[in-house]
Amino acid sequence: MINPVTSRIWVYRVAFLGLCAIIVFFHLLPMQTIPTQWSAPDLLICLSFCWVVRRPDYLPALSVGIVFLISDMFFLRPPGLMAALAVLGTEFLRARSHFIREFPFLLEWAVVTVVIAGVLLGNRLILLILMVDPPVLGLSLLQFLATSLAYPLTVLFSKYALGISKITPAELNR
Amino acid sequence: MAKDRNSGDEYVRPVRRILVGLLIFVLIGLFLLWRIDSPRVERFRANLVDRVMPSFDWALRPVTAATSMFSDFQSYQRIYEQNQELRRELQQMKAWKEAALQLEQKNARLLDLNNVRLDPLLTYVTGVVIADSGSPFRQSVLVNVGKRDGIKDGWATMDGIGIVGRISGVGRNTARVILLTDSNSRIPVAIQPTGQRALLTGDNTAAPPLELLENPELIRPGDRVVSSGDGGVFPAGLLVGQVALGTDGRLRVRLAADYERLEFLRVLRSREHEQIHDPGGLLAPPATTENTTETTEIEAND
Repeated sequence: MINPVTSRIWVYRVAFLGLCAIIVFFHLLPMQTIPTQWSAPDLLICLSFCWVVRRPDYLPALSVGIVFLISDMFFLRPPGLMAALAVLGTEFLRARSHFIREFPFLLEWAVVTVVIAGVLLGNRLILLILMVDPPVLGLSLLQFLATSLAYPLTVLFSKYALGISKITPAELNR
Repeated sequence: MAKDRNSGDEYVRPVRRILVGLLIFVLIGLFLLWRIDSPRVERFRANLVDRVMPSFDWALRPVTAATSMFSDFQSYQRIYEQNQELRRELQQMKAWKEAALQLEQKNARLLDLNNVRLDPLLTYVTGVVIADSGSPFRQSVLVNVGKRDGIKDGWATMDGIGIVGRISGVGRNTARVILLTDSNSRIPVAIQPTGQRALLTGDNTAAPPLELLENPELIRPGDRVVSSGDGGVFPAGLLVGQVALGTDGRLRVRLAADYERLEFLRVLRSREHEQIHDPGGLLAPPATTENTTETTEIEAND
């Protein structure tokens, strides 16, 4: 006896892992081996922040941790740091997600942008404190801008392609 | 009912908080472990990549091929211009080919005259690029040769023309190549006509700058840059590129290797350099004969 609601939640949980795997895979394709002057948005951050605001039940903290740890490993970042910060960021948003869901979109976007900035800044500060060379400043700033600009697109994609709508209080209480 | 659920919530929430805290703790712990004992964690990372990447190979290769075909297709639009351009280049190349043949013959004759022994052990293994670093902050690629093929850390990697990078991290079936453009790459180079030594330091741009130059005024844009072999890491005399003056006024190197399309890479097998420890003995006339004459003299005195 599987409750249809529960099975729907699990389908989306697996879908999140699948989407992240696809994103990591496309990052790893050896198409661009010349250093670039700009940097692509961190879609993993966009996707997880978008989902945690809209449907916190689709995104357990463990899957955020796993996805970011794997991307740390493959993208040659210091392992664990970005993952820990991403979990902290999503938990911060999750705790405030009822308020954020009632905000107009622009305000939601602003809150998410601040959290993205916090995560990237925290990453940089910790690397500086522990005397690891942080990534180039200009590229990091560009990445922050690109990530913030990509957020509305991620929301549109999640809403119309994947059918992620804001969770209703009734569903929340069930 | 509702009250029941609420009381359940009271237990679930703190437990969840503890579990999330534990997760963050474990992740931070991993990061600190990496900071303290980097080689061990990096070895784990190399093993992980080595295990996972080759199994993605079937998917990575067709997608890469499709995208490069698409970009090739775009270039069909200006095929006439390209044809003209190629003809002109071919004309120039014929002249160069003639010059090269003459030089080759001359070189062979001179080598013969000098009885030069070329290094016979500089052979190479060719590998295919299977993935790149995936982030704009790191410049490295993964090739499909590894410990199994006898690859070792630090070996030089070239495409057909110039140095591409250095092996750093070897798994069983894969090895990572840190490109010269990566901000962690430092290789000793020599600038050809003057023979000046410098350090080529990657800084995440397409043309890495030259540092620690003794006389920058002696160097002209267009000079050839080759590896110098200092420090015994790289074999000497491999082509790196040409000097160019950057827009920021620094001397940079335009790399000879084609970074647009890194597909096949040669890993040069370089063997350990023999070290000379002996400072060299004092050259003196053989002492034994003197001793014997002395003893004979003493004996005679007795």
